[in-house]
Amino acid sequence: MVLKGLDLQIKKGEIFALLGVNGAGKTTTLECIEGLRKYDSGTITVNGKMGIQLQSSSLPAHIRPMEAVKLFAKWNKTKIDDAMLDGLGIKEMEKTQYIQLSTGQKRRLHLALALIGDPDIVFLDEPTAGLDVEGRLSLHEQIRKLRHIGKTIILASHDMAEVETLCDRIAILNNGNIVFCGTASELTDRIGRKYVIHIRTQQGNNTFETDNIEDTLISLLGELKQKKIHVLDIKVDRGTLEEHFIEMAGREA
Amino acid sequence: MNGFLYGITLQWKMDIRSKSLLVTCYIVPLIFFLLMGGIFTSVMPEMRSTLIQSMIVMNVSMGAFIGLPPSLTETYGSDVKKIYKANGVPLYSGFLTMFLSAFVHLMISCVIILLLAPILFEAALPAQLPFFFLALAIYIIVSLSIGSVLGLAVKNQAKLTMTAQLVFLPSIMLSGIMFPVDLLPGFLEATGRIFPASRGYRLMLDHGFCLENLWYLILVFCAAAIICTILLNREKSR
Repeated sequence: MVLKGLDLQIKKGEIFALLGVNGAGKTTTLECIEGLRKYDSGTITVNGKMGIQLQSSSLPAHIRPMEAVKLFAKWNKTKIDDAMLDGLGIKEMEKTQYIQLSTGQKRRLHLALALIGDPDIVFLDEPTAGLDVEGRLSLHEQIRKLRHIGKTIILASHDMAEVETLCDRIAILNNGNIVFCGTASELTDRIGRKYVIHIRTQQGNNTFETDNIEDTLISLLGELKQKKIHVLDIKVDRGTLEEHFIEMAGREA
Repeated sequence: MNGFLYGITLQWKMDIRSKSLLVTCYIVPLIFFLLMGGIFTSVMPEMRSTLIQSMIVMNVSMGAFIGLPPSLTETYGSDVKKIYKANGVPLYSGFLTMFLSAFVHLMISCVIILLLAPILFEAALPAQLPFFFLALAIYIIVSLSIGSVLGLAVKNQAKLTMTAQLVFLPSIMLSGIMFPVDLLPGFLEATGRIFPASRGYRLMLDHGFCLENLWYLILVFCAAAIICTILLNREKSR
């Protein structure tokens, strides 16, 4: 994968997502920042200690989770954070060998290993890939907790819903280029999508498109009130991040 | 306890949990010893004088060429090395801990043979035990270093099994532990002398060290150590 002219600045304490389809360059970008991959030119500055959860990682088949935690802690010369291990449920799987762990348990263990050295910056590459809904929500909760205690989180994902619910800012990668960097709402503005208002009344369903949501809503509701039409439901939609992403990728292709 | 020492004890535990290592270091060599020990000593009673050394060569060859390499491939041919590299565990640590753990396991199984052979088959104990143990330690280290080259160089388990057999079988068949090397055709006898098993066997049979065998083993070890260092550095830079 060739990365071209990447220019990124990630702020302390934010959850930043690298978004892109498979092969867009997310993992390559992360590995360059992490120091796991050599790059031809450019400068990368990392201000803080890193903890890394890789997209594809494994441990020896017969190691137990707490043994792996102790091994990594000893090499990093750090104390084990029991609260962190409790939060990730590592101690519950103490007796199980790595080969017998479920995908979700392995993901949680790899996250724990990434957090062993009490890093300032946590890299998570597709952290919820292969997880069921429960596992995914549980991991999202852990990631929010990390932000709450001041960690900077850099996340690579192709799961739009995950990025939309978790991240403060996103960068969209396409063929090794950054095609967008900003918040989800900035992306929506940039795409220039109109607000879509769905109104359900006793007389039926109506849909309106507008650029100015506030004025349109006030005027619509006023009109309906004047006509004494009872409103049953209102939904305002500006498209999901997924739709915006597809649109953006389509534009850049 | 620092990371390295903890790594050794952890590897020792994992090796015990790993059925494949138990099979290659203990179960198969000891079954072979019990069967062949009975057959050899009843068919050729004179083999009592070399039974311990020959069974040890079989044991060490199996553990080093068949047992150790898959463990190394599991770490260095997979994503395990990536997680080590990413989270501050030096790449060489996995190699060294596996090497040392396998050394201890092989030493234990060899001592079991040494203790059982005189009781079960009236085998002769080595005349000078300190020299014998020194020769044994050298032979195990050299064999493990060759096993390490196999484990680090061959990343595919299927290819590894085949390659390991190419080292294991001649080591057993041509080293003189199954039948005297004098009975072999000249070129096979010469081929057998290339493999460290024949040198290690003779080293353990010597009452003093035969320098020719000792130097050969040291040379093989040095070559294997250099190759392992190159392979590990290549892994590190990838």
